[in-house]
Amino acid sequence: MIWTLWKKEIDSYFSSPLAYVLIGLFSLISGTFFFNLLITYTDGIQAMPQQMTEQISFVEEVVLRLFANINFLFLLFIPLITMKLFSEERRLETIDLYWMSPVREWQVVLAKGLAAFTLILAMLFMTMLFPLIIWGVGVKDFSLLGAAYLSVTLNACCYISLGLFCSSLSANQIIAALLSVLGIMFLWMITWGGHLNSNYLVAEIFTYIGITSHFERILRGLIGTQDIIYYFTFIFFFGFLTVKSLSRRNW
Amino acid sequence: MVNMDKILVVDGITKEYPGRTAVSNVSFEVKKGSIHGFLGPNGAGKSTTMKMIAGLLPATTGSITLFGEKVEPEKLKMKNLIGLLPESAPLYLDMTVENYLKLVAKLHGVKETQLQVDKVMTELSLTEVRKRIIGNLSKGYRQRVGLAQALVFDAPFLILDEPTNGLDPQTVVELREFIKKLAANKTILFSSHVLPEVEQLCDQITIIHQGRIRASGDLQEIHRKFRQGLVLKVGIGEYETLPDLTTLGKYEVTQEHIVGKEKQFHLVFEDDRDCRSEIGKLVISKGVNLLTLQVESPELEDIFLHMTEQKK
Repeated sequence: MIWTLWKKEIDSYFSSPLAYVLIGLFSLISGTFFFNLLITYTDGIQAMPQQMTEQISFVEEVVLRLFANINFLFLLFIPLITMKLFSEERRLETIDLYWMSPVREWQVVLAKGLAAFTLILAMLFMTMLFPLIIWGVGVKDFSLLGAAYLSVTLNACCYISLGLFCSSLSANQIIAALLSVLGIMFLWMITWGGHLNSNYLVAEIFTYIGITSHFERILRGLIGTQDIIYYFTFIFFFGFLTVKSLSRRNW
Repeated sequence: MVNMDKILVVDGITKEYPGRTAVSNVSFEVKKGSIHGFLGPNGAGKSTTMKMIAGLLPATTGSITLFGEKVEPEKLKMKNLIGLLPESAPLYLDMTVENYLKLVAKLHGVKETQLQVDKVMTELSLTEVRKRIIGNLSKGYRQRVGLAQALVFDAPFLILDEPTNGLDPQTVVELREFIKKLAANKTILFSSHVLPEVEQLCDQITIIHQGRIRASGDLQEIHRKFRQGLVLKVGIGEYETLPDLTTLGKYEVTQEHIVGKEKQFHLVFEDDRDCRSEIGKLVISKGVNLLTLQVESPELEDIFLHMTEQKK
């Protein structure tokens, strides 16, 4: 059943120009980021005395910044992908086709989430050229690159989960997208709020609830159990809320 | 003991939304193998009731029993028993006809998907547009696709919410014939605004207005109940005068008009007794040519307007 629903969503993405435009745009912008970071790095190296160049880390200046920028791009791209998943179906009343069939809400949520995730993977696949270039300039630490990809992939899963929930709340796609953007920004701001708070306990709670601290740890290759638990709890929680939101029709 | 002659039993269902009641204490039954007409003006609660029967909406109170089992939105096994064509068919406009029907068949767990899709497409003359995007089809074809999705998993009970609404006359006739054929092995709950269509297709009807049932049952029975007294159409020669018939009972002439060379009267007798033979004898005995003498049944439209209080 999930395979059938997933395939329907994927066909829907790729039968319209939307998926191609998003993948193309994402590749273009992330490529521009990568190019600029490389240029800035090489310019910085050339402008420095020989003995100081070792203080500038390629990983720090290019790799980590690149993936932080990709995470930022998700703020714009993922709400665009998830906004229509339930909103449009509710507006066009096509969602009734599922409820007229022996299909559970969680199956629909999971299939739509997986389809959105597949599209994100297709976007990230287009960035695989960057590791080749990085390898070309002498960085051989692929475990670090793997961690970087893992960090943005986990963040994408969280944003998709949040986006699905927002899409289930309104039949208006624009409202769904705005809610997703605000939700993602809120996740970032909680961490900043934690950094600014003088109370240790409150700061710790804020930092844990916010996504940024977990993202940064994994991005640097420090994959801890608490981070993995955080991501899975987050994804499951918003998936659960989406299922409950869709079940409202039965109340 | 479940009476399997009654496929559907709707028992006192009410649907309340904050601040308004969409349907109130609605009860009716649908017999096995019948086409049951569901009539009501816009906003009467037809679609809400149909959605509740299909398990898309829960009733606030009351119960719906289909094939002896209570209908509830969470009961997944019931979904394969009901084929629903809502007023707005749930069509994915970016899919081809064939892929869409395959999707619906797979969602309902149909084993021989391609075979079943081919069968339904043939029945509804969709084969020639099978590879076309639904969004590019005419309204008539889209409605056929909508009907096909309700049929593709071979549900024994169909709910068709205004299936012929807004279609061209040829498509309407074709769909009507098709629905008639379907009744051979399916039970159909059918809503329509076109009252002659309901008279033509349905043997049982339910009339709903402002969320309440106004009449339900056998169409002939409703006709009979609605008829208060005997209504006769009497035709005599164009230049003749209808004799006084008060010796046969109290009556009123409600209509008088000329049809060709015939003057026709609609007479409403207070008494329900069929007095045609006496009228015939009396009129002829007065030397008047009797050209027409028949009992007039009220039109479904009259009944509908009366029940929905729209008659002025």
